[in-house]
Amino acid sequence: MFDFDATLPLMAVQFLLLAALMNVVFFKPLTKVIDDRNDYIRTSEADAKERLAKAESMAKQYEADLAASRRAYQATIAAAQAEAQQVVDQKIAEAQQAAQAQREQAQKELDQQKQAAMQSLEQQVDALSREILDKLLVGI
Amino acid sequence: MLNFLDVPTSLSLASLEVGHHLYWQIGNLKIHGQVFIVSWIVIGILVTASLLATQNAQRVPKGIQNLMEYALEFVRNLTRDQIGEKEYRPWVPFVGTLFLFIFVSNWSGALVPWKLIRLPEGELAAPTNDINTTVALALLVSLAYFYAGFSKKGLGYFAKYVQPTPILLPIAILEDFTKPLSLSFRLFGNILADELVVAVLVLLVPLFVPLPVMLLGLFTSAIQALVFATLAAAYIHEALEGHGDEHHE
Repeated sequence: MFDFDATLPLMAVQFLLLAALMNVVFFKPLTKVIDDRNDYIRTSEADAKERLAKAESMAKQYEADLAASRRAYQATIAAAQAEAQQVVDQKIAEAQQAAQAQREQAQKELDQQKQAAMQSLEQQVDALSREILDKLLVGI
Repeated sequence: MLNFLDVPTSLSLASLEVGHHLYWQIGNLKIHGQVFIVSWIVIGILVTASLLATQNAQRVPKGIQNLMEYALEFVRNLTRDQIGEKEYRPWVPFVGTLFLFIFVSNWSGALVPWKLIRLPEGELAAPTNDINTTVALALLVSLAYFYAGFSKKGLGYFAKYVQPTPILLPIAILEDFTKPLSLSFRLFGNILADELVVAVLVLLVPLFVPLPVMLLGLFTSAIQALVFATLAAAYIHEALEGHGDEHHE
């Protein structure tokens, strides 16, 4: 059972050769594969994080833009409404003025015509009264 | 050894041969052929699996690549837990190969019915049930931790023998002998005992009864590989750290 012979050193040498061979065909390439994979995962994780941060900042930017444009269009609408109101007011005022002017004109004409009518009526009254007077006086 | 039980031929699968070896003669050196045959198969399995896993390595692992990456991460974590984040990297191949070689050897002994292949003498079994293999691995661990200590601290490595107090010097020196001894005998004893228990049970009750013991054997085999690799890494860590700071992990 315990017979030592040349098996011992030969086995030791063989094992060292095996270790060297395994280092070349197993440990080095697979360690490299695993390390490469870890690197890849680390870099893609960092990349993804970076892109996520970028997307978030972009979303924030868009939201800010959206708020700004909402404010802008609200301001525009308000301005347009104010302008329209102004125009409406102005138009109403103008129309009222025009109506006023027309009324005054009409009133003036009416007065004129009334006056003229009164004048001619007075004249006729005068003429008639003179005629009446003449006729009365003739009888005397 | 146990062939004295006069077993019928139908049970010859279960007969045991301990201490019989298939001797190969190289020059005037004798080596145990059966140990080398199985170790070459084990090495073949490891190298083939590695090549299959790495020849078309993908970023998203599939199939055998996944398995081997799991194995690699396992031995990497084992080494890192023992040696520490800073210095574990150069030791991963050594400790990892130790673990994989012992693990595959043990399981090959437990799972492959080697008895079906007849050898002129001896029988095929896990390489780790031969004391030569385990002593070779344990001595390599000793060399590794001495190398680690000397390459880190030069001759200052010897300071650790007298560091807390010179009174412990004999014990510190003794430790260098007990470490490989315990490493090799633990592995050797566990694997050999496991195979013996299974063989004896198979000898007595050929069917079903040995199954729980075989499962226990698989478990033990895996644990022994883990223990061997963990202790190797722990010894290396101890040599790297010095005697004073080995306790504050």
